[in-house]
Amino acid sequence: MYGTKSKIDLAFEYQSQIPVLRPSIHSRRANLTVKFQDLYGFTVEGNVDDVNVLNDVREKVRQQGRVWWALEASKGANWYLHTTIGQGSALTSSLKFSALANAITLKKLIKKGIPPVLRPKVWFSLSGAAKKKSTVPDSYYDDLTKAVEGKVTPATRQIDHDLPRTFPGHPWLDTPEGHAALRRVLVAYSFRDSDVGYCQGLNYVAALLLLVMKTEEDAFWMLAVLLENVLVSDCYTNNLSGCHVEQRVFKDLLAKKCPRIATHLEALEFDVSLVTTEWFLCLFSKSLPSETTLRVWDVIFFEGAKVIFNVALAIFKMKEDQLLLTHHVGEVINVLQMTTHHLFDPDDLLTVAFDQIGSMTTNTISKQRKKQEPEVMKELDQRIRKLNSLKADNK
Amino acid sequence: MSRPGNKIIQAKLVLLGDMGTGKTSLALRFVKGQFFQNQEPTIGAAFFTQILSLSEATVKFDIWDTAGQERYHSLAPMYYRGAAAAIVVYDISSIDTFVRAKKWVQELQRHGSQKLVMALVANKCDLESKREVQTEDGEQFAQENGMFYMETSAKTAENINELFYEIGRRLAKVLPPRQTGINFKNETQEHGRKFFCCST
Ligand SMILES: Nc1nc2c(ncn2[C@@H]2O[C@H](COP(=O)(O)OP(=O)(O)OP(=O)(O)O)[C@@H](O)[C@H]2O)c(=O)[nH]1
Ligand SMILES: [Mg+2]
Repeated sequence: MYGTKSKIDLAFEYQSQIPVLRPSIHSRRANLTVKFQDLYGFTVEGNVDDVNVLNDVREKVRQQGRVWWALEASKGANWYLHTTIGQGSALTSSLKFSALANAITLKKLIKKGIPPVLRPKVWFSLSGAAKKKSTVPDSYYDDLTKAVEGKVTPATRQIDHDLPRTFPGHPWLDTPEGHAALRRVLVAYSFRDSDVGYCQGLNYVAALLLLVMKTEEDAFWMLAVLLENVLVSDCYTNNLSGCHVEQRVFKDLLAKKCPRIATHLEALEFDVSLVTTEWFLCLFSKSLPSETTLRVWDVIFFEGAKVIFNVALAIFKMKEDQLLLTHHVGEVINVLQMTTHHLFDPDDLLTVAFDQIGSMTTNTISKQRKKQEPEVMKELDQRIRKLNSLKADNK
Repeated sequence: MSRPGNKIIQAKLVLLGDMGTGKTSLALRFVKGQFFQNQEPTIGAAFFTQILSLSEATVKFDIWDTAGQERYHSLAPMYYRGAAAAIVVYDISSIDTFVRAKKWVQELQRHGSQKLVMALVANKCDLESKREVQTEDGEQFAQENGMFYMETSAKTAENINELFYEIGRRLAKVLPPRQTGINFKNETQEHGRKFFCCST
Protein backbone atom coordinates (compact mmCIF):
# COMPACT_ATOMS: atom_id res chain seq x y z
CA MET A 1 0.00 0.00 0.00
CA TYR A 2 1.20 3.45 -0.84
CA GLY A 3 -0.58 5.89 1.34
CA THR A 4 0.86 8.80 -0.51
CA LYS A 5 -2.39 10.53 -1.21
CA SER A 6 -4.13 9.57 1.98
CA LYS A 7 -4.53 12.21 4.62
CA ILE A 8 -2.89 11.82 7.93
CA ASP A 9 -6.16 12.18 9.69
CA LEU A 10 -4.85 12.41 13.19
CA ALA A 11 -2.54 15.27 12.42
CA PHE A 12 -5.36 16.97 10.65
CA GLU A 13 -7.61 16.71 13.64
CA TYR A 14 -5.17 18.44 15.95
CA GLN A 15 -5.03 21.35 13.65
CA SER A 16 -8.66 21.87 13.00
CA GLN A 17 -9.97 21.47 16.49
CA ILE A 18 -7.49 23.43 18.56
CA PRO A 19 -9.04 22.58 21.92
CA VAL A 20 -8.58 24.75 24.96
CA LEU A 21 -6.57 23.15 27.72
CA ARG A 22 -8.01 23.25 31.20
CA PRO A 23 -5.64 22.34 33.96
CA SER A 24 -7.43 21.01 37.00
CA ILE A 25 -7.99 23.26 39.95
CA HIS A 26 -5.68 21.04 41.96
CA SER A 27 -2.76 21.56 39.68
CA ARG A 28 -3.45 25.28 39.73
CA ARG A 29 -3.25 25.42 43.49
CA ALA A 30 -0.26 23.19 43.86
CA ASN A 31 1.60 24.64 40.90
CA LEU A 32 2.22 21.10 39.78
CA THR A 33 3.82 19.97 36.63
CA VAL A 34 1.13 18.90 34.23
CA LYS A 35 1.36 16.83 31.10
CA PHE A 36 -0.66 17.83 28.11
CA GLN A 37 -0.82 17.42 24.37
CA ASP A 38 0.10 20.33 22.18
CA LEU A 39 -1.36 21.29 18.82
CA TYR A 40 0.53 18.59 16.97
CA GLY A 41 -0.07 15.80 19.44
CA PHE A 42 3.23 15.99 21.30
CA THR A 43 3.12 15.46 25.01
CA VAL A 44 4.61 18.38 26.84
CA GLU A 45 5.34 18.88 30.47
CA GLY A 46 4.93 22.27 31.98
CA ASN A 47 3.41 24.19 34.82
CA VAL A 48 0.05 25.88 34.83
CA ASP A 49 1.53 29.08 33.43
CA ASP A 50 2.80 27.15 30.45
CA VAL A 51 -0.67 25.78 29.86
CA ASN A 52 -2.06 29.28 29.93
CA VAL A 53 0.55 30.48 27.49
CA LEU A 54 -0.32 27.61 25.20
CA ASN A 55 -3.98 28.52 25.34
CA ASP A 56 -3.12 32.12 24.45
CA VAL A 57 -1.08 30.82 21.57
CA ARG A 58 -4.03 28.81 20.34
CA GLU A 59 -6.15 31.93 20.41
CA LYS A 60 -3.51 33.84 18.50
CA VAL A 61 -3.35 31.06 15.92
CA ARG A 62 -7.10 31.42 15.45
CA GLN A 63 -6.83 35.17 15.04
CA GLN A 64 -3.99 34.81 12.59
CA GLY A 65 -6.18 32.41 10.62
CA ARG A 66 -8.83 35.12 10.36
CA VAL A 67 -6.25 37.56 9.03
CA TRP A 68 -5.26 35.10 6.31
CA TRP A 69 -8.87 34.38 5.34
CA ALA A 70 -9.62 38.09 5.14
CA LEU A 71 -6.68 38.59 2.81
CA GLU A 72 -7.79 35.70 0.62
CA ALA A 73 -11.18 37.32 0.44
CA SER A 74 -9.81 40.71 -0.58
CA LYS A 75 -6.84 39.72 -2.72
CA GLY A 76 -8.12 36.44 -4.09
CA ALA A 77 -7.19 32.87 -3.23
CA ASN A 78 -3.49 32.10 -3.67
CA TRP A 79 -2.61 35.79 -3.77
CA TYR A 80 0.63 34.96 -2.00
CA LEU A 81 1.82 32.98 -4.98
CA HIS A 82 2.03 36.11 -7.11
CA THR A 83 4.35 38.21 -5.07
CA THR A 84 7.53 37.93 -7.08
CA ILE A 85 8.06 40.79 -9.48
CA GLY A 86 8.58 39.56 -13.02
CA GLN A 87 11.80 40.42 -14.85
CA GLY A 88 10.07 41.33 -18.08
CA SER A 89 8.45 44.69 -18.62
CA ALA A 90 5.15 43.12 -19.56
CA LEU A 91 3.69 44.04 -16.22
CA THR A 92 2.15 47.43 -15.96
CA SER A 93 3.60 49.57 -13.26
CA SER A 94 0.44 49.29 -11.20
CA LEU A 95 0.63 45.51 -11.32
CA LYS A 96 4.28 45.69 -10.33
CA PHE A 97 3.30 47.87 -7.47
CA SER A 98 0.65 45.49 -6.26
CA ALA A 99 3.06 42.57 -6.48
CA LEU A 100 5.57 44.51 -4.44
CA ALA A 101 2.95 45.49 -1.91
CA ASN A 102 1.89 41.88 -1.65
CA ALA A 103 5.47 40.79 -1.14
CA ILE A 104 5.88 43.18 1.75
CA THR A 105 2.57 42.13 3.27
CA LEU A 106 3.50 38.49 2.91
CA LYS A 107 6.90 38.85 4.54
CA LYS A 108 5.35 40.46 7.58
CA LEU A 109 2.49 38.03 7.64
CA ILE A 110 4.72 34.98 7.56
CA LYS A 111 6.73 36.25 10.51
CA LYS A 112 3.45 36.37 12.42
CA GLY A 113 2.77 32.78 11.48
CA ILE A 114 1.01 30.69 8.90
CA PRO A 115 -2.19 29.10 10.24
CA PRO A 116 -1.68 25.33 10.61
CA VAL A 117 -4.40 24.51 8.07
CA LEU A 118 -2.76 26.66 5.42
CA ARG A 119 0.78 25.52 6.14
CA PRO A 120 0.86 22.60 3.68
CA LYS A 121 -0.25 24.75 0.77
CA VAL A 122 1.81 27.81 1.62
CA TRP A 123 5.00 25.93 2.44
CA PHE A 124 4.71 23.81 -0.64
CA SER A 125 4.59 26.74 -3.01
CA LEU A 126 6.77 29.30 -1.26
CA SER A 127 9.63 26.91 -0.49
CA GLY A 128 10.02 25.91 -4.11
CA ALA A 129 8.88 22.34 -3.47
CA ALA A 130 6.01 22.69 -5.92
CA LYS A 131 8.39 23.86 -8.62
CA LYS A 132 10.80 21.03 -7.88
CA LYS A 133 8.05 18.50 -8.12
CA SER A 134 6.75 19.96 -11.38
CA THR A 135 10.04 19.22 -13.15
CA VAL A 136 9.58 15.46 -12.88
CA PRO A 137 6.74 13.14 -13.93
CA ASP A 138 3.75 13.04 -11.59
CA SER A 139 4.45 9.47 -10.65
CA TYR A 140 8.01 10.20 -9.49
CA TYR A 141 7.44 9.56 -5.79
CA ASP A 142 5.27 6.49 -6.29
CA ASP A 143 7.73 5.05 -8.79
CA LEU A 144 10.64 5.74 -6.47
CA THR A 145 9.05 4.13 -3.42
CA LYS A 146 8.00 1.12 -5.48
CA ALA A 147 11.45 0.75 -7.02
CA VAL A 148 13.25 0.77 -3.68
CA GLU A 149 10.81 -1.40 -1.79
CA GLY A 150 12.51 -4.38 -0.22
CA LYS A 151 16.02 -3.07 -0.93
CA VAL A 152 18.42 -3.21 1.97
CA THR A 153 21.28 -0.74 2.29
CA PRO A 154 23.24 0.62 5.26
CA ALA A 155 20.88 3.59 5.15
CA THR A 156 17.72 1.52 5.26
CA ARG A 157 19.10 -0.48 8.17
CA GLN A 158 19.78 2.67 10.13
CA ILE A 159 16.38 4.08 9.24
CA ASP A 160 14.66 0.92 10.49
CA HIS A 161 16.59 1.19 13.69
CA ASP A 162 15.48 4.77 14.25
CA LEU A 163 11.77 4.55 13.32
CA PRO A 164 10.48 3.54 16.77
CA ARG A 165 13.00 5.95 18.30
CA THR A 166 11.57 8.99 16.52
CA PHE A 167 9.25 10.94 18.81
CA PRO A 168 8.23 7.77 20.66
CA GLY A 169 4.79 7.98 22.20
CA HIS A 170 3.41 10.35 19.59
CA PRO A 171 -0.19 9.31 18.87
CA TRP A 172 0.33 9.08 15.12
CA LEU A 173 4.07 8.93 14.47
CA ASP A 174 4.52 6.06 16.90
CA THR A 175 2.04 3.73 15.22
CA PRO A 176 2.69 1.12 12.52
CA GLU A 177 1.13 3.52 10.01
CA GLY A 178 3.31 6.40 11.15
CA HIS A 179 6.46 4.29 11.09
CA ALA A 180 5.65 3.05 7.59
CA ALA A 181 5.06 6.54 6.24
CA LEU A 182 8.25 7.91 7.81
CA ARG A 183 10.16 4.93 6.51
CA ARG A 184 9.00 5.44 2.93
CA VAL A 185 9.94 9.12 2.99
CA LEU A 186 13.38 8.57 4.49
CA VAL A 187 14.18 5.53 2.38
CA ALA A 188 13.03 7.23 -0.82
CA TYR A 189 15.21 10.21 -0.03
CA SER A 190 18.20 8.03 0.77
CA PHE A 191 17.98 6.69 -2.76
CA ARG A 192 17.34 10.07 -4.32
CA ASP A 193 20.58 11.42 -2.84
CA SER A 194 23.00 8.69 -1.95
CA ASP A 195 25.54 11.22 -0.65
CA VAL A 196 23.12 12.06 2.09
CA GLY A 197 21.68 8.58 2.39
CA TYR A 198 20.37 8.70 5.90
CA CYS A 199 21.67 11.10 8.50
CA GLN A 200 20.36 10.94 12.05
CA GLY A 201 18.46 14.14 12.68
CA LEU A 202 16.58 13.87 9.41
CA ASN A 203 14.24 11.44 11.12
CA TYR A 204 12.94 14.24 13.34
CA VAL A 205 12.76 16.72 10.48
CA ALA A 206 10.90 14.32 8.20
CA ALA A 207 8.53 13.29 10.99
CA LEU A 208 7.51 16.86 11.62
CA LEU A 209 7.15 17.48 7.89
CA LEU A 210 4.79 14.52 7.72
CA LEU A 211 2.67 15.92 10.51
CA VAL A 212 2.41 19.28 8.83
CA MET A 213 2.12 18.36 5.17
CA LYS A 214 -0.37 15.53 5.73
CA THR A 215 0.64 13.63 2.63
CA GLU A 216 3.76 11.58 2.42
CA GLU A 217 4.57 12.76 -1.04
CA ASP A 218 4.46 16.42 -0.10
CA ALA A 219 6.59 15.72 2.96
CA PHE A 220 9.11 14.06 0.68
CA TRP A 221 9.30 17.09 -1.61
CA MET A 222 9.63 19.42 1.34
CA LEU A 223 12.55 17.35 2.58
CA ALA A 224 14.09 17.48 -0.89
CA VAL A 225 13.77 21.24 -1.27
CA LEU A 226 15.06 21.76 2.25
CA LEU A 227 18.22 19.74 1.71
CA GLU A 228 18.80 20.69 -1.89
CA ASN A 229 17.86 24.36 -1.96
CA VAL A 230 17.07 25.90 1.38
CA LEU A 231 19.94 24.77 3.62
CA VAL A 232 23.64 25.04 2.79
CA SER A 233 24.87 22.03 0.91
CA ASP A 234 26.53 19.12 2.69
CA CYS A 235 24.88 19.76 6.03
CA TYR A 236 24.05 16.07 6.29
CA THR A 237 26.59 14.37 4.01
CA ASN A 238 29.54 12.22 5.04
CA ASN A 239 31.36 14.45 7.53
CA LEU A 240 28.70 17.12 7.96
CA SER A 241 31.03 19.70 6.45
CA GLY A 242 28.17 22.08 5.72
CA CYS A 243 27.15 21.95 9.35
CA HIS A 244 30.72 22.69 10.44
CA VAL A 245 30.69 25.75 8.21
CA GLU A 246 27.43 26.94 9.73
CA GLN A 247 28.80 26.48 13.23
CA ARG A 248 31.76 28.71 12.46
CA VAL A 249 29.65 31.35 10.82
CA PHE A 250 27.42 31.29 13.87
CA LYS A 251 30.35 31.71 16.25
CA ASP A 252 31.43 34.84 14.40
CA LEU A 253 27.88 36.17 14.44
CA LEU A 254 27.55 35.58 18.16
CA ALA A 255 30.78 37.44 18.79
CA LYS A 256 29.46 40.32 16.72
CA LYS A 257 25.85 40.44 17.88
CA CYS A 258 26.24 39.31 21.49
CA PRO A 259 29.86 40.11 22.33
CA ARG A 260 29.45 39.92 26.09
CA ILE A 261 27.96 36.44 25.95
CA ALA A 262 30.57 35.28 23.47
CA THR A 263 33.41 36.50 25.69
CA HIS A 264 31.90 34.97 28.78
CA LEU A 265 31.34 31.60 27.16
CA GLU A 266 34.82 31.58 25.80
CA ALA A 267 36.18 32.16 29.29
CA LEU A 268 34.21 29.13 30.44
CA GLU A 269 35.65 27.17 27.52
CA PHE A 270 32.13 26.60 26.33
CA ASP A 271 32.06 25.92 22.64
CA VAL A 272 28.64 26.99 21.35
CA SER A 273 28.53 24.11 18.90
CA LEU A 274 27.97 21.92 21.94
CA VAL A 275 24.36 23.06 21.76
CA THR A 276 23.92 24.52 18.31
CA THR A 277 24.81 21.35 16.40
CA GLU A 278 21.53 19.78 17.48
CA TRP A 279 19.59 22.98 16.85
CA PHE A 280 20.90 23.28 13.31
CA LEU A 281 20.68 19.63 12.28
CA CYS A 282 17.20 19.08 13.66
CA LEU A 283 16.13 22.61 12.81
CA PHE A 284 15.12 23.09 16.46
CA SER A 285 12.57 20.27 16.35
CA LYS A 286 14.20 18.50 19.29
CA SER A 287 14.53 21.65 21.38
CA LEU A 288 11.58 23.97 20.82
CA PRO A 289 7.88 23.18 21.37
CA SER A 290 6.23 22.11 18.13
CA GLU A 291 4.30 25.25 17.20
CA THR A 292 7.35 27.39 17.96
CA THR A 293 9.49 25.12 15.78
CA LEU A 294 7.00 25.35 12.94
CA ARG A 295 6.81 29.12 13.22
CA VAL A 296 10.57 29.15 12.76
CA TRP A 297 10.18 26.85 9.76
CA ASP A 298 7.52 29.19 8.30
CA VAL A 299 10.20 31.83 7.99
CA ILE A 300 13.00 29.47 6.97
CA PHE A 301 11.01 28.20 4.00
CA PHE A 302 10.26 31.74 2.91
CA GLU A 303 13.49 33.60 3.69
CA GLY A 304 16.10 30.88 3.76
CA ALA A 305 18.62 29.24 6.06
CA LYS A 306 19.94 32.50 7.49
CA VAL A 307 16.84 32.51 9.69
CA ILE A 308 18.41 29.69 11.70
CA PHE A 309 21.08 32.15 12.79
CA ASN A 310 18.53 34.77 13.81
CA VAL A 311 16.72 32.25 15.96
CA ALA A 312 19.82 30.76 17.54
CA LEU A 313 21.17 34.23 18.33
CA ALA A 314 17.81 35.16 19.83
CA ILE A 315 17.88 32.21 22.22
CA PHE A 316 21.23 33.39 23.58
CA LYS A 317 20.20 37.02 23.56
CA MET A 318 17.00 36.41 25.51
CA LYS A 319 18.97 34.93 28.36
CA GLU A 320 21.95 37.27 28.28
CA ASP A 321 21.70 38.22 31.98
CA GLN A 322 21.40 34.64 33.16
CA LEU A 323 24.13 33.40 30.88
CA LEU A 324 26.55 36.03 32.14
CA LEU A 325 26.06 34.68 35.66
CA THR A 326 27.02 31.11 34.83
CA HIS A 327 30.27 29.63 36.11
CA HIS A 328 30.18 26.26 34.55
CA VAL A 329 29.47 24.51 31.28
CA GLY A 330 26.60 22.58 32.85
CA GLU A 331 24.89 25.75 33.99
CA VAL A 332 25.07 27.22 30.49
CA ILE A 333 23.45 24.12 29.06
CA ASN A 334 20.75 24.17 31.72
CA VAL A 335 19.87 27.79 31.05
CA LEU A 336 19.64 27.16 27.32
CA GLN A 337 17.65 23.96 27.68
CA MET A 338 15.19 25.43 30.14
CA THR A 339 14.74 28.35 27.80
CA THR A 340 14.14 26.38 24.63
CA HIS A 341 11.85 23.82 26.23
CA HIS A 342 9.61 26.51 27.65
CA LEU A 343 9.34 28.76 24.63
CA PHE A 344 5.67 27.97 24.20
CA ASP A 345 4.88 31.41 22.81
CA PRO A 346 6.56 31.61 19.41
CA ASP A 347 6.28 35.41 19.38
CA ASP A 348 8.54 35.70 22.42
CA LEU A 349 11.27 34.14 20.38
CA LEU A 350 10.56 35.56 16.96
CA THR A 351 10.25 39.15 18.15
CA VAL A 352 13.78 38.95 19.50
CA ALA A 353 15.00 37.04 16.46
CA PHE A 354 13.79 39.62 13.96
CA ASP A 355 13.49 42.89 15.84
CA GLN A 356 16.44 42.79 18.18
CA ILE A 357 19.15 40.88 16.38
CA GLY A 358 19.33 43.26 13.47
CA SER A 359 19.06 42.21 9.90
CA MET A 360 21.54 39.98 8.20
CA THR A 361 21.27 39.73 4.47
CA THR A 362 21.61 36.42 2.70
CA ASN A 363 24.45 38.03 0.84
CA THR A 364 26.60 38.78 3.88
CA ILE A 365 25.94 35.32 5.26
CA SER A 366 26.96 33.74 1.96
CA LYS A 367 30.21 35.66 2.08
CA GLN A 368 30.84 34.43 5.61
CA ARG A 369 30.23 30.88 4.52
CA LYS A 370 32.61 31.19 1.59
CA LYS A 371 35.24 32.52 3.95
CA GLN A 372 34.90 29.60 6.36
CA GLU A 373 34.62 26.80 3.82
CA PRO A 374 38.29 26.32 2.91
CA GLU A 375 39.32 26.33 6.55
CA VAL A 376 36.72 23.70 7.47
CA MET A 377 37.70 21.53 4.55
CA LYS A 378 41.34 21.78 5.47
CA GLU A 379 40.76 20.77 9.06
CA LEU A 380 38.42 17.91 8.22
CA ASP A 381 40.98 16.73 5.72
CA GLN A 382 43.82 16.87 8.22
CA ARG A 383 41.76 14.97 10.69
CA ILE A 384 41.00 12.21 8.23
CA ARG A 385 44.67 11.94 7.35
CA LYS A 386 45.60 11.68 11.02
CA LEU A 387 43.05 8.95 11.56
CA ASN A 388 44.28 7.08 8.52
CA SER A 389 47.88 7.24 9.67
CA LEU A 390 46.65 5.86 12.95
CA LYS A 391 45.14 2.90 11.13
CA ALA A 392 48.37 2.32 9.22
CA ASP A 393 50.37 2.35 12.46
CA ASN A 394 48.19 -0.29 13.95
CA LYS A 395 48.59 -2.77 11.18
CA MET B 1 26.62 14.78 49.09
CA SER B 2 30.23 15.49 49.81
CA ARG B 3 31.57 14.17 53.03
CA PRO B 4 33.48 16.51 55.28
CA GLY B 5 37.19 16.46 54.64
CA ASN B 6 36.67 14.54 51.47
CA LYS B 7 38.36 15.70 48.33
CA ILE B 8 36.17 16.82 45.47
CA ILE B 9 36.95 15.91 41.93
CA GLN B 10 35.32 17.49 38.93
CA ALA B 11 35.63 15.13 36.01
CA LYS B 12 34.58 15.31 32.41
CA LEU B 13 33.47 11.94 31.10
CA VAL B 14 32.69 11.14 27.50
CA LEU B 15 30.60 8.28 26.11
CA LEU B 16 31.64 7.03 22.69
CA GLY B 17 30.42 4.15 20.54
CA ASP B 18 28.36 3.17 17.55
CA MET B 19 24.78 4.32 17.10
CA GLY B 20 22.23 2.47 19.15
CA THR B 21 24.73 0.75 21.45
CA GLY B 22 23.08 2.32 24.48
CA LYS B 23 25.24 5.33 25.38
CA THR B 24 22.30 7.54 26.23
CA SER B 25 20.59 4.70 28.06
CA LEU B 26 23.68 4.10 30.21
CA ALA B 27 23.84 7.76 31.12
CA LEU B 28 20.12 7.98 31.85
CA ARG B 29 20.21 4.85 33.98
CA PHE B 30 23.11 6.21 36.01
CA VAL B 31 21.83 9.76 36.35
CA LYS B 32 18.07 9.31 36.61
CA GLY B 33 17.56 5.61 37.12
CA GLN B 34 15.41 5.53 33.99
CA PHE B 35 15.31 3.33 30.92
CA PHE B 36 13.28 3.70 27.75
CA GLN B 37 12.68 0.92 25.29
CA ASN B 38 12.70 3.48 22.51
CA GLN B 39 15.38 5.98 23.34
CA GLU B 40 15.61 8.82 20.81
CA PRO B 41 18.83 9.06 18.78
CA THR B 42 21.24 11.67 20.07
CA ILE B 43 22.13 14.46 17.68
CA GLY B 44 25.44 16.18 18.36
CA ALA B 45 25.57 15.34 22.04
CA ALA B 46 23.67 15.42 25.29
CA PHE B 47 24.94 16.56 28.65
CA PHE B 48 24.31 15.10 32.09
CA THR B 49 25.72 15.64 35.55
CA GLN B 50 25.88 13.28 38.49
CA ILE B 51 27.66 13.28 41.83
CA LEU B 52 29.14 10.13 43.23
CA SER B 53 30.33 9.80 46.77
CA LEU B 54 33.16 7.35 47.37
CA SER B 55 35.23 6.79 50.46
CA GLU B 56 38.24 8.26 48.67
CA ALA B 57 36.55 11.28 47.13
CA THR B 58 33.40 12.92 45.90
CA VAL B 59 33.32 12.84 42.14
CA LYS B 60 31.29 15.36 40.18
CA PHE B 61 30.75 13.94 36.73
CA ASP B 62 30.14 16.09 33.69
CA ILE B 63 28.94 13.52 31.23
CA TRP B 64 29.02 14.09 27.47
CA ASP B 65 26.91 11.56 25.65
CA THR B 66 27.78 11.74 21.96
CA ALA B 67 26.00 10.86 18.72
CA GLY B 68 26.95 7.45 17.40
CA GLN B 69 26.42 7.64 13.66
CA GLU B 70 29.69 7.49 11.75
CA ARG B 71 29.32 10.88 10.12
CA TYR B 72 29.10 12.57 13.51
CA HIS B 73 32.64 11.39 14.12
CA SER B 74 33.94 14.74 12.93
CA LEU B 75 32.39 16.36 16.01
CA ALA B 76 33.86 13.93 18.53
CA PRO B 77 37.10 15.80 19.39
CA MET B 78 35.04 18.65 20.75
CA TYR B 79 33.59 16.27 23.31
CA TYR B 80 36.59 14.20 24.30
CA ARG B 81 38.90 17.17 24.48
CA GLY B 82 39.83 17.61 28.13
CA ALA B 83 37.96 14.49 29.24
CA ALA B 84 39.33 12.70 32.28
CA ALA B 85 37.42 9.50 31.57
CA ALA B 86 35.96 7.80 28.54
CA ILE B 87 33.48 4.98 28.22
CA VAL B 88 33.64 3.18 24.91
CA VAL B 89 30.43 1.26 24.39
CA TYR B 90 29.48 -1.63 22.15
CA ASP B 91 26.44 -3.84 21.92
CA ILE B 92 27.14 -7.54 22.60
CA SER B 93 24.53 -8.47 20.02
CA SER B 94 26.37 -6.75 17.16
CA ILE B 95 29.92 -7.52 16.10
CA ASP B 96 30.01 -4.36 13.98
CA THR B 97 29.69 -2.22 17.06
CA PHE B 98 32.67 -4.01 18.62
CA VAL B 99 34.77 -3.22 15.55
CA ARG B 100 33.75 0.40 15.85
CA ALA B 101 34.59 0.40 19.57
CA LYS B 102 38.13 -0.71 18.79
CA LYS B 103 38.52 2.23 16.46
CA TRP B 104 37.40 4.61 19.17
CA VAL B 105 39.93 3.18 21.57
CA GLN B 106 42.73 3.72 19.07
CA GLU B 107 41.66 7.26 18.45
CA LEU B 108 41.50 8.04 22.16
CA GLN B 109 44.93 6.56 22.75
CA ARG B 110 46.27 8.88 20.12
CA HIS B 111 44.31 12.02 20.85
CA GLY B 112 42.84 11.75 24.31
CA SER B 113 44.53 13.10 27.41
CA GLN B 114 47.54 11.25 28.83
CA LYS B 115 45.95 10.02 32.04
CA LEU B 116 42.60 9.22 30.49
CA VAL B 117 40.70 6.58 32.44
CA MET B 118 39.12 4.31 29.86
CA ALA B 119 36.40 1.72 30.20
CA LEU B 120 35.30 -0.77 27.58
CA VAL B 121 31.64 -1.47 28.08
CA ALA B 122 29.82 -4.44 26.58
CA ASN B 123 26.24 -3.25 26.88
CA LYS B 124 22.91 -5.05 26.41
CA CYS B 125 24.18 -8.11 28.27
CA ASP B 126 20.54 -8.97 28.88
CA LEU B 127 20.44 -10.03 25.22
CA GLU B 128 22.51 -13.15 25.88
CA SER B 129 20.64 -15.22 23.30
CA LYS B 130 21.62 -12.76 20.58
CA ARG B 131 25.25 -12.46 21.63
CA GLU B 132 27.74 -11.95 18.79
CA VAL B 133 30.73 -10.74 20.79
CA GLN B 134 32.21 -13.15 23.31
CA THR B 135 33.21 -11.97 26.75
CA GLU B 136 36.81 -13.18 26.28
CA ASP B 137 37.21 -11.07 23.14
CA GLY B 138 36.09 -7.94 24.91
CA GLU B 139 38.15 -8.68 27.98
CA GLN B 140 41.25 -9.41 25.98
CA PHE B 141 41.00 -6.25 23.93
CA ALA B 142 40.47 -4.18 27.06
CA GLN B 143 43.47 -5.74 28.76
CA GLU B 144 45.74 -5.19 25.79
CA ASN B 145 44.78 -1.55 25.79
CA GLY B 146 45.03 -0.74 29.46
CA MET B 147 41.29 -0.33 29.96
CA PHE B 148 38.94 -2.01 32.33
CA TYR B 149 36.13 -4.11 30.98
CA MET B 150 32.57 -4.38 32.14
CA GLU B 151 29.43 -6.05 30.86
CA THR B 152 26.37 -3.96 31.53
CA SER B 153 22.69 -3.69 30.82
CA ALA B 154 21.09 -0.28 30.89
CA LYS B 155 17.81 -2.15 30.69
CA THR B 156 18.18 -4.26 33.83
CA ALA B 157 20.64 -1.83 35.49
CA GLU B 158 23.19 -4.60 35.81
CA ASN B 159 26.66 -3.25 36.57
CA ILE B 160 25.74 0.36 35.83
CA ASN B 161 26.58 1.73 39.25
CA GLU B 162 29.60 -0.56 39.44
CA LEU B 163 30.84 0.94 36.18
CA PHE B 164 30.71 4.51 37.38
CA TYR B 165 32.06 3.64 40.84
CA GLU B 166 35.06 1.98 39.27
CA ILE B 167 35.68 5.00 37.08
CA GLY B 168 35.33 7.24 40.12
CA ARG B 169 37.84 5.18 42.07
CA ARG B 170 40.35 5.30 39.28
CA LEU B 171 39.84 9.02 38.84
CA ALA B 172 40.42 9.57 42.53
CA LYS B 173 43.83 8.01 42.10
CA VAL B 174 44.95 10.06 39.13
CA LEU B 175 43.21 13.40 39.50
CA PRO B 176 44.03 16.28 41.81
CA PRO B 177 41.11 17.67 43.83
CA ARG B 178 39.30 20.59 42.32
CA GLN B 179 40.38 24.00 43.47
CA THR B 180 37.39 26.16 44.04
CA GLY B 181 36.84 28.98 41.62
CA ILE B 182 39.33 27.66 39.13
CA ASN B 183 38.28 25.77 36.08
CA PHE B 184 39.50 22.28 35.96
CA LYS B 185 41.81 22.15 33.02
CA ASN B 186 45.17 20.60 32.69
CA GLU B 187 47.57 19.09 30.23
CA THR B 188 44.69 17.97 28.07
CA GLN B 189 44.47 21.42 26.59
CA GLU B 190 47.07 21.02 23.89
CA HIS B 191 45.59 17.76 22.73
CA GLY B 192 42.85 18.05 20.25
CA ARG B 193 43.35 21.71 19.46
CA LYS B 194 45.30 21.21 16.30
CA PHE B 195 42.90 18.89 14.59
CA PHE B 196 39.76 20.07 16.18
CA CYS B 197 37.51 21.33 13.50
CA CYS B 198 35.06 23.50 15.30
CA SER B 199 37.16 25.36 17.81
CA THR B 200 38.56 28.68 16.87
N1 LIG C 1 17.93 -4.89 25.58
C1 LIG C 1 18.60 -3.76 25.82
N2 LIG C 1 18.34 -2.67 25.08
C2 LIG C 1 19.05 -1.54 25.33
C3 LIG C 1 20.03 -1.48 26.34
N3 LIG C 1 20.56 -0.23 26.34
C4 LIG C 1 19.93 0.44 25.37
N4 LIG C 1 19.01 -0.33 24.76
C5 LIG C 1 18.11 0.05 23.67
O1 LIG C 1 18.86 0.30 22.53
C6 LIG C 1 18.35 1.42 21.81
C7 LIG C 1 19.43 2.46 21.64
O2 LIG C 1 19.80 2.98 22.90
P1 LIG C 1 20.43 4.42 23.07
O3 LIG C 1 20.78 4.59 24.49
O4 LIG C 1 19.59 5.45 22.44
O5 LIG C 1 21.74 4.23 22.19
P2 LIG C 1 22.81 5.35 21.80
O6 LIG C 1 24.12 4.66 21.80
O7 LIG C 1 22.66 6.52 22.66
O8 LIG C 1 22.36 5.65 20.32
P3 LIG C 1 22.66 6.99 19.42
O9 LIG C 1 22.24 8.16 20.21
O10 LIG C 1 21.86 6.77 18.18
O11 LIG C 1 24.13 6.96 19.13
C8 LIG C 1 17.19 1.97 22.62
O12 LIG C 1 16.00 1.60 22.02
C9 LIG C 1 17.36 1.33 23.98
O13 LIG C 1 16.15 1.07 24.60
C10 LIG C 1 20.27 -2.66 27.12
O14 LIG C 1 21.11 -2.71 28.00
N5 LIG C 1 19.53 -3.77 26.80
MG1 LIG D 1 22.25 8.46 22.24
